[in-house]
Amino acid sequence: MNDLIAALTVARKDFLQELRSRATTVATLFFSAITLVMMAFGLGREPELMRSAAPGVLWVALAFAGVIAAAQSFQADLEEGAFEQLLLLPASRAAIYLGKLAASWLYLFALGVLMVPIALGLYGATAPAGTWWLLGLVLLLGTLGLAIIATFYAGLTANLQAREALLPVLMFPVIVPIMLGAVRATEAALMGSADAPLALSWVQLLGGFDLVYLVVCASIFHFVVDD
Amino acid sequence: MTDTSRTRRPRWLTVFGLVTLAVVGVGLYGALIMSPPDVNQGDLIRVMYAHVPVAWIGFAAVAVSAVWGMLYLWRGRAIDDVRAQGTAEAALLYSILTVVGGMTYSKPTLNTYWTWDAKLTLTALMVALVVGYFIVRALIDDPQRRARVSAVIMIVVLASLPFNYLAAEWFRTLHPAKSVNLDGSGVTMDPTMLRVLLLNVLGGAMVFVYFISERIRIGRLSLADDKTFDSVKGVAREVVSVR
Repeated sequence: MNDLIAALTVARKDFLQELRSRATTVATLFFSAITLVMMAFGLGREPELMRSAAPGVLWVALAFAGVIAAAQSFQADLEEGAFEQLLLLPASRAAIYLGKLAASWLYLFALGVLMVPIALGLYGATAPAGTWWLLGLVLLLGTLGLAIIATFYAGLTANLQAREALLPVLMFPVIVPIMLGAVRATEAALMGSADAPLALSWVQLLGGFDLVYLVVCASIFHFVVDD
Repeated sequence: MTDTSRTRRPRWLTVFGLVTLAVVGVGLYGALIMSPPDVNQGDLIRVMYAHVPVAWIGFAAVAVSAVWGMLYLWRGRAIDDVRAQGTAEAALLYSILTVVGGMTYSKPTLNTYWTWDAKLTLTALMVALVVGYFIVRALIDDPQRRARVSAVIMIVVLASLPFNYLAAEWFRTLHPAKSVNLDGSGVTMDPTMLRVLLLNVLGGAMVFVYFISERIRIGRLSLADDKTFDSVKGVAREVVSVR
């Protein structure tokens, strides 16, 4: 109970901080949008190619945004020694991790909701109305997976040198299943529900990933932040 | 470092090394001479006797290193970190060899070096993960924090393997169907070939054990060095405090 309140407090703190400073929002929102545009230039202008690349480009942009958002969230805490005070919170380390994770997840999900129409518009793809639930589910589970791993490794690299370069190097090989699963399921959603069983098996992979890593990361996070 | 009995290689390790060499020699004989050529692949099948053991041992090494990392987190003894690190080095070596071996194997059989095959992709990701482990190790100075953080990373690496495998398998696969089921339910392989393969797995595993035993022995010695360094610092600190 205590831990739950602590986790909610940490999440609320991160969220308020973001609402007031908007540092991460400015960085990631425009960063993901510009990634979508740059990738479009890189891919050429064949409409068919663009349409089929849309899910992949969307998730690459979200993965980059996830790295920046998670790094930023710990960066803000590390300044002025606020993180040490956060650790004094009378709750387990797992609660602090889950709180930061919840804030990141909410943030990334909101970003994903904004990016989907932009990606669809830029790449000339359309989402059939009947598959929006699938798109929403994939966004929820995919951004949760990204947030779990990004928050964990951001905490791990927070006080290391070269953390900006290090975080994606550590994180990306771990999130390969998220990328593959989210991209394939998004693809199925955009093509209509023709491949629903296939999409659902990818969604199951995302769900399994999220569940296992949520437990693993929450239970070993205290080894990462304690001195 | 005056006591040479502690720094000398223990006799059992030397004997074990010689036995390993003999097993590897017999395995090589089996692979190159005893084993019949494969129906489809001909003499190319002989690459398998090196490739398959190296791949299996590479994955086992990650698991062993993660277990030693967990033991460190549980008991907090520096030697467990030395063990985890030594095994991780072997894991890196074996997984790089697996990728290189897989690429040389697939050029003549599948006519391409890189295939996005599930097992090859998985191993390449494992190389990236273990490299990340060593990058982080190199960046942390405090030995206890370094040991803790690297143990945690290896646990995450181990947890990622089944997911990466599943994802890569669903993504696309070209790999030849496995001919030994690990649950022992079916072996679709010539008995001579299977015997030779298992012999080579044994030889490869013994080389692995020999490597990490030697590496841990050396690591233990440098740990002793670190302790003397620590005690010197302790003395210096006392002198300062007396003043």
